[in-house]
Amino acid sequence: MKKQHLYLLAALIGLAALSACKPAVPADAAAKPRVALVMKSLANEFFQNMAEGAKKHEAAHATDYELIVNGIKNETDLTEQVGLVEQMVAQGVQAIVIAPADSKALVPALKRAKDAGVLVVNIDNKLDADTLKQANLPVSFVGPDNREGAAKVGAALAAKLKTGDQVAILEGVPTAFNSQQRRAGFEDAMKQGGMKVVSVQSGQWEMDKANTVASSLVTEHANLKAILCANDNMALGAVAAVRAAGKTGQILIVGFDNISAIQPMIADGRVLATADQHGDQLAVFGIEKALAILKGAAQLEDKKTPVDLIAKP
Amino acid sequence: MKKFLHRFRDYAALVLILVALVALFGSLSNHFLTAATFNSVANRIPTLTLVATGMTLVLIIGGIDLSVGSVLALAAAVLGVLLVDWHWPLLLSALAAVAVGVAAGFFNGFVCVKLRVPSFIVTLGTLEMARGLAYLTTNSQTKYLAGKVDALAQPIAGLPITPATLLAVLVVVAAQFMLSRAVIGRKMIAIGTNEAATRLAGIATAPVKVFVFATAGALAGLGAICQSARLGASDPNGGVGLELSAIAAAVIGGTSLSGGKGSVVCTFIGVLIIATLEAGLAQIGASEPVKRLVTGAVIVLAVVADGLRKKSQS
Repeated sequence: MKKQHLYLLAALIGLAALSACKPAVPADAAAKPRVALVMKSLANEFFQNMAEGAKKHEAAHATDYELIVNGIKNETDLTEQVGLVEQMVAQGVQAIVIAPADSKALVPALKRAKDAGVLVVNIDNKLDADTLKQANLPVSFVGPDNREGAAKVGAALAAKLKTGDQVAILEGVPTAFNSQQRRAGFEDAMKQGGMKVVSVQSGQWEMDKANTVASSLVTEHANLKAILCANDNMALGAVAAVRAAGKTGQILIVGFDNISAIQPMIADGRVLATADQHGDQLAVFGIEKALAILKGAAQLEDKKTPVDLIAKP
Repeated sequence: MKKFLHRFRDYAALVLILVALVALFGSLSNHFLTAATFNSVANRIPTLTLVATGMTLVLIIGGIDLSVGSVLALAAAVLGVLLVDWHWPLLLSALAAVAVGVAAGFFNGFVCVKLRVPSFIVTLGTLEMARGLAYLTTNSQTKYLAGKVDALAQPIAGLPITPATLLAVLVVVAAQFMLSRAVIGRKMIAIGTNEAATRLAGIATAPVKVFVFATAGALAGLGAICQSARLGASDPNGGVGLELSAIAAAVIGGTSLSGGKGSVVCTFIGVLIIATLEAGLAQIGASEPVKRLVTGAVIVLAVVADGLRKKSQS
């Protein structure tokens, strides 16, 4: 046996020993429920806020539960999110609080989690009701009414427009329920106000994509009066596109989420309005619901959380 | 035994990194060293294993295939539409998905060989085209498969692993056998080492290259089936960035980007390293920036460690 082999063997044995002598689980820690928060892209400030809100809540309730926070690289990476759900089941958590990247495709993985004895609470983006029924997976949804929120934002915009004005909608990932709901809310408000929706396109929730789409919208529809964006990231992209076209102020922009980057734009009017669904509290609502159900103090029912209109007073 | 040790030495640095990762996460989390973690890692790797195997073969002939992620999404899209909207039986739909992969791979190989376009460029084009077709096929909607292909991602009775994992391991073994024992494998290595000399030696290089690209496509198709089974849905957004993970796995496994050198088994260990890293980082709840920093560092570390080992050997 050569020297190298000996080193190798020694290293292997050392590592095996290291892994064998990991600290034993303290008895009280085992009794404390462990909750996993699985979110979408942590590159999106909305989810970053959500994560921070949840971590603060955990710090304040350290004796009540333990939290594991995870997110995915980009909004559409279903495979990674399914992987996260599986890892959380492997971690032996008692509950998963999830903002699903897709309303349907996460259902099978969550069903497997439930079959493994994990409680599933759905936040932010509502899972598809039919798919849940098909999979026989009852979950409780804790989140805002996106349609109602979008309609509020849309109504604030409609008040600044005239009947027959041309508007365009930038939706998020079309497969996501909250995107569909916000789009529907925007459409409700535009219909009510008598505006004409000339185009509905997807900006995939992302600034860069929204910028590209908004630029072409602005070029294509010379009389466009407003762009309604299903989140603030895309609104930022639209603001840049409108500025590049030299039409700042002529084309109104609204968003959704009230991220910090949008606040100065609300103040100076580059963005007319947005909606605050209290993202930092959204995960907390979900976690509290999960803890209550685990304790047997709550039922598997939906809970509506508030959405407020944010506009320059 | 001597032969085994000799073999093992080729994998030593990689296996060591893998063991180190397992030990590290085991010490960071009380729940990592469990059968459940092993199962979840074993059952999440089939797609990346299949795609990375194809990628390794392409890299060995001195090419690159950037289109695998999109081709996978397209194959998954076709699978989903055939199963759900056209009500085709599972086997036919699965065959069609693989056929889509083969067709895309054949296209890559054909344009590369006959029209003399570098594979980087052809497959970059295919990356875009296949993604576009995937969106068109599914109308940009995720197709929910309602348990139609679940069996592939459910553990085999009495075993912790799924048929998909088994399939992936068999493909690794078969590909390694082809590479090191079959004539075509030796031809592939010859092409990657020096294509002009190989041609001058009287070997028809074109069919071999087209075959390799078509194989990579077929494996992307198989990967699509495994991924759809795991998700229970076919996702037209799926596989974004998969080509980079596959290249990372191959490179960690010591495959040369300039061709002529590589091992499918080492790529497989590369896949295990990536999957273990992902699982561990998720389980300890590492933040997104930390995840990316650590993943990148491990890729570089693995390649450096492997290089040092080779240097000390020669």
